[in-house]
Amino acid sequence: MLPGLRRIGLATAIITAGLSLVTTAAADSLRIPVLVPITGFLSLEGTSQKNGAELALDGSDVAFDVADTATSPEVAVNAFERAMNAKDVVSVVAPMLGTQMLALIPLADEFDVPMITVSGTARITELGSPNVFRFFPGDVVVKAAHARYAVEELGAKKPAIISQTTAYGQSGRAELDRNLRALGQPPVFTEGLEVSVKDMLPVLSKVRDSGADVLLLHLHSGPTALVIRQARAMGLDIPIVAGSAMHQPETAALLESAELLGGCAESGWSPISETGPEFRAFADAYRKSFNREPDAFALGQYDGVNMVLAAIRGGARDAAGVRSWLESNRYDGLAMTYASDGKGNMAHSAVILCYIGADRVPQIVKRYRNVTGVL
Amino acid sequence: MTGMHLGRDRVTLIAGGVALAVYATLFASSYDQRILTLSGVYVIMVLGYQFIFGHSGALSLAQGAFFGVGAYVTGIVGSQFGTGFLITFPLSIALATLLAAIVAAPVLRLASHYFALATLALNQLLLVIAVNWESVTGGANGIPGVPPVILFDWQVGRGLPLLVFVWALAAAAMLIAHWQLRPSRVSSFTVMRETPLAAPAFGIEPGLLRFRAFLFSAAFGGAAGALFVHTNRVVSPETLGFGIMVTCLTMTVVGGRFRIAGAVIGALLLTHLPEWFRGLDEYYLVAVGFLLLAMVVFAPNGLAPLFLRAGEPSRLSKTIAGDIEPPAKSTAGLVIEGLSKRYGGVRALDGASLQVEPGEIVGLIGPNGAGKTTLANLVTGIERGDAGHVERASANLSVLSATAIARSGIARTFQTSQLPDELTVRQVVSTAAVNLGSTAPADKVVNGALALCKLSDDADTHCGTLPHGVRRRVEIARAIAGDPGVLVLDEPAAGLADEEQRQVADICRALAHAGTAILLIDHNLEFLRTSVTRLACMDAGRIIMEGPFDTVLADPAVRAAYFGMADQ
Repeated sequence: MLPGLRRIGLATAIITAGLSLVTTAAADSLRIPVLVPITGFLSLEGTSQKNGAELALDGSDVAFDVADTATSPEVAVNAFERAMNAKDVVSVVAPMLGTQMLALIPLADEFDVPMITVSGTARITELGSPNVFRFFPGDVVVKAAHARYAVEELGAKKPAIISQTTAYGQSGRAELDRNLRALGQPPVFTEGLEVSVKDMLPVLSKVRDSGADVLLLHLHSGPTALVIRQARAMGLDIPIVAGSAMHQPETAALLESAELLGGCAESGWSPISETGPEFRAFADAYRKSFNREPDAFALGQYDGVNMVLAAIRGGARDAAGVRSWLESNRYDGLAMTYASDGKGNMAHSAVILCYIGADRVPQIVKRYRNVTGVL
Repeated sequence: MTGMHLGRDRVTLIAGGVALAVYATLFASSYDQRILTLSGVYVIMVLGYQFIFGHSGALSLAQGAFFGVGAYVTGIVGSQFGTGFLITFPLSIALATLLAAIVAAPVLRLASHYFALATLALNQLLLVIAVNWESVTGGANGIPGVPPVILFDWQVGRGLPLLVFVWALAAAAMLIAHWQLRPSRVSSFTVMRETPLAAPAFGIEPGLLRFRAFLFSAAFGGAAGALFVHTNRVVSPETLGFGIMVTCLTMTVVGGRFRIAGAVIGALLLTHLPEWFRGLDEYYLVAVGFLLLAMVVFAPNGLAPLFLRAGEPSRLSKTIAGDIEPPAKSTAGLVIEGLSKRYGGVRALDGASLQVEPGEIVGLIGPNGAGKTTLANLVTGIERGDAGHVERASANLSVLSATAIARSGIARTFQTSQLPDELTVRQVVSTAAVNLGSTAPADKVVNGALALCKLSDDADTHCGTLPHGVRRRVEIARAIAGDPGVLVLDEPAAGLADEEQRQVADICRALAHAGTAILLIDHNLEFLRTSVTRLACMDAGRIIMEGPFDTVLADPAVRAAYFGMADQ
């Protein structure tokens, strides 16, 4: 009996001590946890999100920790709960993955803390939560620009859509489809791709067989590059207008200049394409800190965090104060002017970028301002 | 698993339970409580997976599918129809189990990697449905806003209440697993897993055992999926993703495949490990990977055995005269009539006929390839014949399964040893006694068989450590544990020393004296001379001669076939 009791005691102590390792310490200063996907298929975009937030928070009085949410709701909720262990959390930089956001919204409402994100998934601002603030034009905005550019500028009569089967892909595809129909040019071909698909020739062959005259992509970074490369290789000679992943320097780096040439993409903005001095300063600081080119996600998150910092400077000392400030104020960010539409959609403009010439830096060929009419 | 094993499992579980209770109530933050809650969910999933992957030995990749079904049933029914936990939870378990029952027929026929691929395909199929059936499943976004657990108007709140609730269900799952995995059934699983050929011959129904294990794995998986959704409040395709399956597999391997404590250790460790290394930012996965690799290398059987120490089986009570069940007198022999069997172009049996009367020992000799083992396989139902039949007490046995034939009183041993290394002699014999449905008390039957085969002193020894001669006697002890009327011994004296041969011969004579009909296949003529009542010789799938020992050996056809000697 005694050895049994000793084992129970020893095991109890070991397990309790081991479990206690995860207990986190509380903080004294105001805090903005950064919860983003830095591993998994969204690591590229998530890292941009992290970098943008870090660039804004560095040098401020606000404390922050970065936690990886990977790509599952479970890990995102774990990270959120862990972050909320700390005191004085005034806002959370939340992941851009739609399914993770959908899992976090009830928690954010329960903890009553605002989340700032660059997620494009339309649904996250349609659930009635007062705690979602999207600092990237949602699908309602960018897909309207996407469809309008294809139809109005390129004269598309038979557009085709290739989208991802993730939440991001399904949300964007639905908006594209709706906008194209509204413009009187419904898609002649639509197909969803798994993230893991590497051979794009089958789906591109179907696009060619459909007689499509413009190909619209709504894919993540890697698949976008693969589709464009294989479309060029098979001689699919129709205009391609990709989603915002295309504008990312990392995506462009996966392609040869000849493959990029003529390709276009929608985005909220493109910091490397802008020529103003403030954009140059941002891009230089970003390169210096992270040794990479800034993209739209980084800039969106940078602006979002800066708006929260502006709220704090404006007197907000807790989560409720920050939320209230975000709901009721306009903010002139680096990329654009932000204001809530009442649902947490803060960005209302979009641009179309095209790779013109041998340069890997895309040029802004069309701006769609205040698409929602909020501003 | 012996009673002592269970005792140690219980000690570990009590220690873990006390530690968890102390930690959860005194130290844990809401975040810590969430991680512990998730651990409890995974404990249930891994307990289920132990049935099919551990005990049944089948690499199922469908546990994630059952988990996902449970998750989606709860997510859809709970959020779309506002149905409460008391309905959604059992419904999630029921539909996951129903799915398992439906796919079991085609899937459980497959073995090894084919089984793994088929179960993986099930997972992928459900994932495609979940992603693309947007109107019902919410597509890739999934369904947010799954209601919390509500029991009779009491909402189980996040944090400690949900933690206690989930672990209460995990404890219930452990009790169910404990009840299902009683020692005799664990031994049956071991025999099925390690010696699948022999299992049916000792009353074990591999198909039924695997089916039951598959259903339990599905039920537990469905329950875990339902709780997972209540814990996360959203259901999405990630619940059907391969990541869940890999997590489950890793937890099972790291914790241990067989013991309840292994499920608890694996789930607790694997849910906490990534959290402990979060400080390493994007490198935490590397650290977790290295640690898991080290665990698998240094504890290949999982961590549970390290906590439980090596199992020591209970001591066999001293065999006394009153404990021994003497073999019952048999009244019906064996009739083999015109058995034929072809393997492609090879005719292994060609109308073989033979009778063995109760109390008679019939020796069967013949050159290699004559068809002796094929005859034994057809008599015991291991294989099906093309023509002819086998009868006992006027009953046609040829239409029965191997398990049914064994239970009807026809037992056998195998040419090559079919003993599971990790079971003790007593466990092997008692497993056969229980599964063959002996009418006498199992202890008496087992003690009787061990005493008759002079194995009482080896009863607690693991079969894997036994010398060849003793293993042969263990096989005979196991064969007679079901009190058979007919015994087929396939080369029991092969490789035995003279003394060991005499021991086997003594056993055969004692059994025959009690009325058992024995068909004794061997090449050792001295052994057969001292053992058999009469002798038969096979060649090219036929019985070419039978009769008294010396008469058969003197027969020119036998001499030509068996000794290669043509008479002048």
